[in-house]
Amino acid sequence: MKLYCLSGHPTLPCNVLKFKSTTIMLDCGLDTTSVLNFLPLPLVHSPRLSKLPGWISKDGSINLEKRELLDLSTIDVILISNYHCMMALPYITEHTGFTGTVYATEPTLQIGRLLMEELVNFMERVPKAQSATCWKNKEIQRMLPGPLKDAVDVWTWKRCYSMQEVNSALSKVQLVGYSQKVELFGAVQVSPLSSGYSLGSSNWIIQSHHEKVSYVSGSSLLTTHPQPMDQSSLKNSDVLILTGLTQMPTANPDGMLGEFCSNLAMTIRAGGNVLVPCYSSGVIYDLLECLYQFIESANLGTTPFYFISPVANSSLEFSQIFAEWLCHNKQTKVYLPEPPFPHAELIQTNKLKHYPSIHGDFSSEFRQPCVVFTGHPSLRFGDVVHFMELWGKSSLNTVIFTEPDFSYLDALAPYQPLAMKCVYCPIDTRLNFHQVSKLLKEVQPLHVVCPEQYTQPPLTQSHRSDLMLELQPPPMPYRRCSVLNLPFRRRYERVYILPELANSLVPSEVKPGVSVATVSAVLQSKDNKHTLQSVPKAPPVAPSKKRKRVMEEPPVTMAPKPLLSGAVPLEAFLATLQKHGITEVKVEETADGHILHLQAEDTLIQLEEDGTHIVCDNNEPLRATLRDLVLRFLQKL
Amino acid sequence: MDSQCVSTLPRVCGVLLESGSSLPDDTSLEKLLDWFTTIAQTGASLLEACPCLVDFVSKVAFNHASGSSILSFTLKLTGLIGTSEDGFKVLKECSVLKLVFNPHHWQEAGLWGDPCLRIGWIQGLKMILQHSEALSFFAQEDLIEPLLQLQTDSSLFVASAANQTLAQVLLLCQSLSSVGHNCSKNRYLEHNSVSIETTQNYSGIITRVSEYLNKSVVLKEISQLPGCQQILRLLAMLLVQVGPPLRDTLLLAVMNSLEELVTTSCSQLTVPLMDVILAANSGLRDDFVPKQRLIRLLWVMLNMKKPAIVMQAAAAVLHSHHSDPTFSAHSARVLLLPLDIVTGVSLLDENSTEEELRILITEQLKRKSCISMICVCLSNIPQITLMASDHLPCPQRLIVTAVLMLLRLCCVDSSSSSAGCVEVVRFITGNSKVQKCALEALLVLSKSPGVKMVLVDVFKVLTEYLNSPSSDPSVLQKSYQAVIKWVGVCPDLSCITDQLREGFIQAVRKRACDTRWEARDSTVEFLGHLGGAPSCRSFTEQETEPSDVFLGGCSFTVPLLKEALQDPESYVRASSISALAQTLTPSWQEGAALTQEQEDIVTRLQEVLFQDSEGFARRAAVKYFIAWLSACSSPSSCWLLMQSVPTVLSQGVNDLDWEVKLHTLELAELLLDQAFPDPSPSHPYAVMSDQAHRLHIAGHPDSRCC
Repeated sequence: MKLYCLSGHPTLPCNVLKFKSTTIMLDCGLDTTSVLNFLPLPLVHSPRLSKLPGWISKDGSINLEKRELLDLSTIDVILISNYHCMMALPYITEHTGFTGTVYATEPTLQIGRLLMEELVNFMERVPKAQSATCWKNKEIQRMLPGPLKDAVDVWTWKRCYSMQEVNSALSKVQLVGYSQKVELFGAVQVSPLSSGYSLGSSNWIIQSHHEKVSYVSGSSLLTTHPQPMDQSSLKNSDVLILTGLTQMPTANPDGMLGEFCSNLAMTIRAGGNVLVPCYSSGVIYDLLECLYQFIESANLGTTPFYFISPVANSSLEFSQIFAEWLCHNKQTKVYLPEPPFPHAELIQTNKLKHYPSIHGDFSSEFRQPCVVFTGHPSLRFGDVVHFMELWGKSSLNTVIFTEPDFSYLDALAPYQPLAMKCVYCPIDTRLNFHQVSKLLKEVQPLHVVCPEQYTQPPLTQSHRSDLMLELQPPPMPYRRCSVLNLPFRRRYERVYILPELANSLVPSEVKPGVSVATVSAVLQSKDNKHTLQSVPKAPPVAPSKKRKRVMEEPPVTMAPKPLLSGAVPLEAFLATLQKHGITEVKVEETADGHILHLQAEDTLIQLEEDGTHIVCDNNEPLRATLRDLVLRFLQKL
Repeated sequence: MDSQCVSTLPRVCGVLLESGSSLPDDTSLEKLLDWFTTIAQTGASLLEACPCLVDFVSKVAFNHASGSSILSFTLKLTGLIGTSEDGFKVLKECSVLKLVFNPHHWQEAGLWGDPCLRIGWIQGLKMILQHSEALSFFAQEDLIEPLLQLQTDSSLFVASAANQTLAQVLLLCQSLSSVGHNCSKNRYLEHNSVSIETTQNYSGIITRVSEYLNKSVVLKEISQLPGCQQILRLLAMLLVQVGPPLRDTLLLAVMNSLEELVTTSCSQLTVPLMDVILAANSGLRDDFVPKQRLIRLLWVMLNMKKPAIVMQAAAAVLHSHHSDPTFSAHSARVLLLPLDIVTGVSLLDENSTEEELRILITEQLKRKSCISMICVCLSNIPQITLMASDHLPCPQRLIVTAVLMLLRLCCVDSSSSSAGCVEVVRFITGNSKVQKCALEALLVLSKSPGVKMVLVDVFKVLTEYLNSPSSDPSVLQKSYQAVIKWVGVCPDLSCITDQLREGFIQAVRKRACDTRWEARDSTVEFLGHLGGAPSCRSFTEQETEPSDVFLGGCSFTVPLLKEALQDPESYVRASSISALAQTLTPSWQEGAALTQEQEDIVTRLQEVLFQDSEGFARRAAVKYFIAWLSACSSPSSCWLLMQSVPTVLSQGVNDLDWEVKLHTLELAELLLDQAFPDPSPSHPYAVMSDQAHRLHIAGHPDSRCC
């Protein structure tokens, strides 16, 4: 069993598991931090950006990174754990010869589609007049300034995919429900479990009859909107692959949510605007719910909230229809019937308005001071670029970062000098180290495999020995491009016996409750299923006068030799020998049993736990006699 | 009224006798007993006032049909009657006394198992033990045995009452025997024959108690632990209460057992054991032999191999204000050790005797139990700061530095690392218990000499806490208190830089919008306290208000507080009203011109009085006007005040909340005082002074019943 690790990013994993002749890709996260090396794509012509020396503002083609370690066409299935971990799907399923199936839950597919659609939209609505690629040449890259010069593997950066590729990729997705068991080629069974992180997010169990591998990706034990995490099904795993822990181990999500609200209220009260760069699904639902409760207490009743994204409407509506994937509280609301999320009420009362982009209705209805939720959190593309340009100059305004995926200082770099206040409240509800160690104590996997980042404290907080995994036995770390031999051997395989063959068996009891029978059968293996069938009887050979060559004759099926079991008791055996006239026996005790030296016959009998040897040169009658004496004490099957 | 009560008493007694066990609530009996006690305390004879009581007592004693609450009441009543020698004689003559205080009598009746009865027995006994007659009776009836048995009773109330009664017995023995020795004039000694007999009795009792204590101060198995703790508490109490000759006797009796107990190193016994040792040690003559043994015991406790015991013992030494500076200095060193180890700030010089303890504590700090150890250390810093500076192991300024370092290590957002024990950081980071203890210590340390140098660091750390998203509301409250305290003791705030101030303002502003009402409440309270803090000197050597230095004065504070008036939480609304009053008081005193803002506030406060559903806010609103009226230099010239007070008065008296009513009356009183500054005897309402008014109320017994 092998694990190929294609991504070094612990929260955007991409691993390939080879298990019992199947090749399973676990997630295909897309690390987009390389976009931080590019200039923002403004929606409206920006004189500031266009005036930068040596750059044409429209030259910023967004490239995305993906690296290949093995032939992607050999992958049988891809298991997706949540919508953030499927963003690289088109790169894998398209133009690689991939012919397999992708498994995901329905919300994962639908919201993942929205996020991809949004990404493509953000890119395509700012068409590039030209694209430059020569700079990727190492010689030229070396001459580039600053951090660009030091960017690694720029040649692997790829252009963003198209909508057509997205559609084609998503058409390969097959929907599954929690705890549904999917057979893969009869060899293994995969099953998604609720992971509590986002709508439809799942951990996966990959098991055969005798082995169990658990794959834990973005999971959460906090009470937010999704269904709670299923922990008990992870028990008794041989290997647990652990990815997607929180990126902010020191930031408590509750504290951050409070911080978000108080900074927002503080800015609005002072007459400023608040910009929240965020993804169009996920934490935003919780932010809106928290604000719904906070608006009244903070006297923000009249402040408008805007949600701007090409998929804003779908995202808000989708969240309300996936009731079965929500936590119990929200599920019960549906039966009242009430919308599970309170943002429906915010929309109804006109407190929350959503628009596909800043153009159109928004420009006429826009009122300040206000709160704007919009993407992309990298601040390199999407409507957020416009608001950064618009509000950046006033110290009354605040930008509040809630997504932990990008360094906020790097994201802000192209907008400097910036007068607006910046607040960093990363909200990451995924498991923290304390929670995960508790979880592992409970489910007790035999082996844990995790990204190497989890085996040491973060670089900036090297004194925090609690911000790492401390396990016994220690976890197996992996890094990008590692190939791990998972530390367990398959020892058993299930084999079926056909009824007629089973009928013919004659079991004999070797000890109470254990019976043994010998089987002569033909083993048939097909579709990873093994069956024992009766040996076909040789067809009666028609008497032929024609002489045949010996080799061509059908093999004569010999009755199998009986199997022996039991032990030879020393005292009784010596007595028997004496009865047969062998009296001069010298007994020597060894580590495994006894050696009997029959001095007169110059013969040795070795009685050991798992075998008996009679060493007797050139005296066949004696050997046969001794053999028969030994056999008297043994049982034949 | 008393006479009426007395006349109905026989009937009450009759009802009680007939009630059997059908009295579910004994509150009425307690009230009755209170009344008897009041009569007895006035000096009158209880039996003369209520002659029917003896009959009642004897009837109950001879008849077991009464319920346990009545029996308990009767036992206490018997004790009350027997408090006076006359009453005691009467009871003795009618042979009630012997019966009532005979535990066998109750045991045979199967009633002794009821704790209610046992407590009645003990309290009754304690009441009669006031005179030599009673002590003789106590000795003759051999009541010491049952009393000793009750010392470790399964009921804590019974055990505690038994402890106190035993102390009472010993005190009585002591006072009577000292009288006997001195042969001074005393009514107890008028009958010489009794005196000799009684003195023998006393020594018998004391011997028996000594034997008992010696036998009980043991810990052979864990089941004896609760009893042992109880006996140690009793012993500490006795050693504190009784005087020298008796105390020496008791001490000599238990000394061996104490020494043995110390060797068990049982951490649950540390505190009671230290209490005993310290109680015994205080005031002992140096030449008294056990003194040396006690001092040795103290050293043993302070040098145990178990850090938790050593820390507790050291804390006990500091709390006892032990006169020997060697012990205090050693204890301070022990208590500061964890802080020294965790922060890496060298508070203690190299001392080989502590090296072993340092290793033990360092090991302990690597476990989760480090929290309690650090908290013990921090909570004893107030005691350490009280010590004379020449006995302190380091200047107090260094302790401040170490506490600040610890606070930085505890802060989740801080990336500070210590030069000390690294393993401890995982346990203390974000631990609000340690944070609170450290902030408490910082509060106390504000008084330390020479801390001005660290003022900037203190404000930096406090701002960090106020800013941190992970700070618990209670930690925020403590941080605010620390700011106020440090502002109060630092006359010169010129070291506060603009940057520091800006960071602080942002933090306060943010907390005023916190999602947790407790945090908003503390912020609002803080703003009020800062407004009321005494003036300080600032950059320009001029007198400035601390709120000006920190927050830029009223222009920042008042709008924030005005916002808080709309808060959905009534506590916050109430606090913001009080804070506004505190903030505006200086301008009222100066007679400054009214601003539009103040007018808005008054309008809002009237709304609160009329509409607010919660009493807290309405009470605070009335108090606001009280504060304004009392601070205003010339109220009559302040039109807004004069205009609003009538509305407040008319609304306040009609309020359903009695506290609002009370404050409204205070406001009215204040108004009257200001209207009639010199009480004129001719004015009908000004006749009575405050004192006369109170006397008038007290003189009317019925006035309390209305």
